[in-house]
Amino acid sequence: MLETVSTPKKGETTWLWLLKIITGALIFIILGIHFVVNHTLGTVEGGLLSYQDVVAYYQNPIIPIMEIAFLIFVVSHSLIGLRSIFLDLNPSPRALSTVNWLFSAVGIVSVVYGIWLVMTIVSRGS
Amino acid sequence: MSTTPNRPSPSNWLKWFDPRQREIGTWAFILNRITALGLTLYLFLHLIILSQLAGGEEAYQGFLDLIRNPIFVFGEWLVIIAGLIHGLNGLRIGLTSFGIAIPYQKQFFYILMAIAVAGGLYFAVRMFAV
Amino acid sequence: MTNQWTLNLLVYRLKGNGAPHYDSFKIKANPDEYVLDLVERIWAFEDRTLTFAHACHHSTCGACGMRINGVEKLTCITPVHTVAKDGATVKVEPLRNFPVISDLAVDMGSLFRRMEQVGHRPVLELADEPAEPGIMRSQKAEDREIIRLADCIECGLCISACPIATTTPEYLGPAVLAGAQQSGIQNNRKLLALIDSQNGAWRCHSAFECTAVCPSNVEPAWRIMDLRMQVMSERIKNWFRSGK
Repeated sequence: MLETVSTPKKGETTWLWLLKIITGALIFIILGIHFVVNHTLGTVEGGLLSYQDVVAYYQNPIIPIMEIAFLIFVVSHSLIGLRSIFLDLNPSPRALSTVNWLFSAVGIVSVVYGIWLVMTIVSRGS
Repeated sequence: MSTTPNRPSPSNWLKWFDPRQREIGTWAFILNRITALGLTLYLFLHLIILSQLAGGEEAYQGFLDLIRNPIFVFGEWLVIIAGLIHGLNGLRIGLTSFGIAIPYQKQFFYILMAIAVAGGLYFAVRMFAV
Repeated sequence: MTNQWTLNLLVYRLKGNGAPHYDSFKIKANPDEYVLDLVERIWAFEDRTLTFAHACHHSTCGACGMRINGVEKLTCITPVHTVAKDGATVKVEPLRNFPVISDLAVDMGSLFRRMEQVGHRPVLELADEPAEPGIMRSQKAEDREIIRLADCIECGLCISACPIATTTPEYLGPAVLAGAQQSGIQNNRKLLALIDSQNGAWRCHSAFECTAVCPSNVEPAWRIMDLRMQVMSERIKNWFRSGK
């Protein structure tokens, strides 16, 4: 059967794409900070952070906020990007709906886990 | 149903990664896609491994010892270079989508990848030179 | 006196329910003639069953697009010496991402239907088609009287070169998105829904292969970027207007 004219299908829309680009830009910046801190400011040979270094680092309130924000940006960017790759394969509405649910769940679980981990480390310092 | 060759189909996905007879733009596409997948894998591994922090000082020390293994160091170098390639190419994609640097996007890509390669070499020296 | 090269043409063949294969034709070629001339000569003197699309022979109709050694070319304006040397083998294949009807002829119906759907204007006022990204040909009121043919000849080379068009037949593709950019979505809500969707402007991944193969200065890639800015501008305006 010959191709019919496309009808609009909701999929990646402007707002999701903007989120991908903006999180990408933010990751650029925060990853720089995150990388420098974790690989140069520590007491372990090579600049790595020891356990004590990590706990001390997280006592400054800016840090948990920055790292949790970083986690949210990276997980969002990664999952929206994966979803884009999936969209390139022309999924059916049902397949897309399944992926939407799955990726949302993975995203939420990852962020919740990350917040739990951060708060655990913060509490080790008191 | 007879399959007519040349029909677009999700089963052609391997063609994404075939750069033969294509221009440099396909390399940008391939590199971005592969680094995206690699970095995603790294992201979730990283998140899981960090749970060792919650296990306390000894558990984390075990992790610090593990990552001294040259295989891990090489893996980390791959992550760094993937991050550089993906991030810098992403910069090109973001800028062109807002109408910036479009006539020079090819040269821009070459320069960005040169920076990524330079970064890769720098970190290779730092990480592998004894 | 004309230089006569000897070339081996490897031509893709497919008939009916048969299996695709390549036929080999040894022919004499003048390096300054065009690849389409060679294909036509094979049809005329070697194999009358060879099927291929062609019409104007001067890059206006967009019918003769093929892949030469794997690269998309408009064969009526592709001189032999740009794709081969004396004694070389030249692979001739149909465009990718369109169903093959027979041999080198493909079904481009989806492209034509979509161009119409997005309102691409084949003839337009001089002032309406930019000369380069961001540079209008003319701002002068009197140039509203001058009309020109649109750059896009609907040849389909860009769609053949696009990596996304390979995995989904529903992606509108560079030509259609460029057509939508020319049409403009400011006053066309239906077009906005079509472009801001799963198969629209956001499906592009900036490979710029379309611009690389376009024989007609359309530069689809920058038009897709411009279209993105049109969409973003509309969405942001709408958000303020209706509070959505």
